[in-house]
Amino acid sequence: MAAVAPYSARAFAGGAPGWTAAAALAPASVVVTIGIVLPVVILFRYSLNQYTPAKMMVDAFTIENYAKFLTDPFYLAVLFRTIRVAALCTAICVVLAFPMAYCLARTRSRFKNLLLMAVILPLFVGNAVRAAGWMVLFGNRGFVNSILMGVGATREPLQIMYTEFAVVVGIIAVNLPFVVLTLQAVLEGIDRAIEEAALGLGAGPWRTFRHVVLPLAMPGVIAGTILSFILAMNAYATPVLLGGPTFQMMGPTVYNQFAGLSNWPFGAAMSFVLMTATLLLIVTSNWLAQARYRR
Amino acid sequence: MAQGAIGAPAGLAAGRAPVLDSRWILRIALLGAAALGYAVILTPIVFVCWLSFFANEIVTFPPQGYTLRWFAHIFDQNNFVSGFITSLQVGIAAMIGGLALGVPASLVLARRKFPGREALNTLLLLPLVVPGIVAGTAIYVFQIEIEIATEWPLLGSLTGLVLAHIMITIPWTVRLLSASLSGFDRSIEEAAQNLGATPPQAFLKVTLPVIKPGVVAAALFGFIISFGNLEMTLFLVAPGQTTLPIAILQYLQWRIDPTIAAVSLLQIVLIGAGMLVTDRYVKLTRVL
Repeated sequence: MAAVAPYSARAFAGGAPGWTAAAALAPASVVVTIGIVLPVVILFRYSLNQYTPAKMMVDAFTIENYAKFLTDPFYLAVLFRTIRVAALCTAICVVLAFPMAYCLARTRSRFKNLLLMAVILPLFVGNAVRAAGWMVLFGNRGFVNSILMGVGATREPLQIMYTEFAVVVGIIAVNLPFVVLTLQAVLEGIDRAIEEAALGLGAGPWRTFRHVVLPLAMPGVIAGTILSFILAMNAYATPVLLGGPTFQMMGPTVYNQFAGLSNWPFGAAMSFVLMTATLLLIVTSNWLAQARYRR
Repeated sequence: MAQGAIGAPAGLAAGRAPVLDSRWILRIALLGAAALGYAVILTPIVFVCWLSFFANEIVTFPPQGYTLRWFAHIFDQNNFVSGFITSLQVGIAAMIGGLALGVPASLVLARRKFPGREALNTLLLLPLVVPGIVAGTAIYVFQIEIEIATEWPLLGSLTGLVLAHIMITIPWTVRLLSASLSGFDRSIEEAAQNLGATPPQAFLKVTLPVIKPGVVAAALFGFIISFGNLEMTLFLVAPGQTTLPIAILQYLQWRIDPTIAAVSLLQIVLIGAGMLVTDRYVKLTRVL
């Protein structure tokens, strides 16, 4: 290594960052800074502007948009509904994902790759397409109602579409693959011998899970929870298609402020309320979980 | 959780019948729970695919028969055809842009130590953590401002869409290349140079073949991510300039029928094929 240092120091491949390295890094960094960081900063600035119906947006430096959101019962209800749905979906996702991830991590089946693909493919199929699948099931003449009416369980079709149930199921289906993959990656890294040792020393399967597997898998559980919560808080296609106009969540409401009402300052403020609420909840729950974990 | 629940050496519990029984119950419960999870993930996709073959146009169960005519019907629907073409153009352009910007940057990031390296890495991955709705609103507002300032009709144009989509292809390129470079031993490059190769030669003949799978994966993955993006793109499309996922969303807000299911099935097949090819180059599970 020392012998080649004089050569490699100047080489393209190594040494201190020279002009080549700077030239390689600069374009991407500049593009990301201008393309997304700057727009987000501008959006934040706009959230402090004023909205008037005649002139749309007036330069100002006010927190009235945030105050309006936090005092309007309608918007607060949308925010709390979004938080409730996101928390519920995330809890169910983690519980459902753990057995899947565990089986995937421990299986020696030759179909393991196929089973993994079955988790990954839906990630790329698009939320709208998956919502369409639930629409086929949940519609008034959909699969579920046809079965229920066919066996005589109900005479009138049950209203499943445009309910919280439909939205929760839809979001769970969207988020579950993310949580499974996060957990599976962590579980793969836990040595099977550790579990066997716990069992060999007399711990039952439940105690082994509770005191050995779960603590070791905790980083994965936390990462999966955060990911699922963020995705659910920002969901758009699923609440629009399965919740409809009667079950409103934050994502579609923010969109409407821009596309429907052209109220940029308020829409921008809503975006930041949504992001801040998401971050605050994550930080708080993380802190609570860690405090409990230490005890 | 049952010990080594799947493929566990059953001999360990031999001779202790009650324990064996409870383990079997746990193992079946575990598999049952996993199967339930798979059902939740796959059910909507199965039903969309099923619907695309229904003979009746209005969704009723059981279907009155099966037909393939909806697949031909897609091509009469102009918004799907033009949406597909737009998505294809945007996806390819954003993929190329993501590679051109992301590959050199990640090569430097993955192989050199310098102050600020972590910060730059975070910056390039940042677009992934900005929620789609926020990114969409921010870029929408920004493009309108540029349009006002320069009179360049950016919003709703193909260029505007591509520029926004590059924001999501760059982080994936960086992520995939970092994954494929993580096992790269730089001493082989130095060895090549010791044996008389010039630095560019060492790069072309030694480094490039090593990162090729990562680059191919980043290309396909960038395309898939761009092709399927919905939340951010929603703000940036204009009438007549819509991507396929948004054409699907807008149609579904109005009605659901076998035509839209056929469109969805084609999209699933296309993306599935892309994924299988990508997986040959870089194991998808390593980068997600």
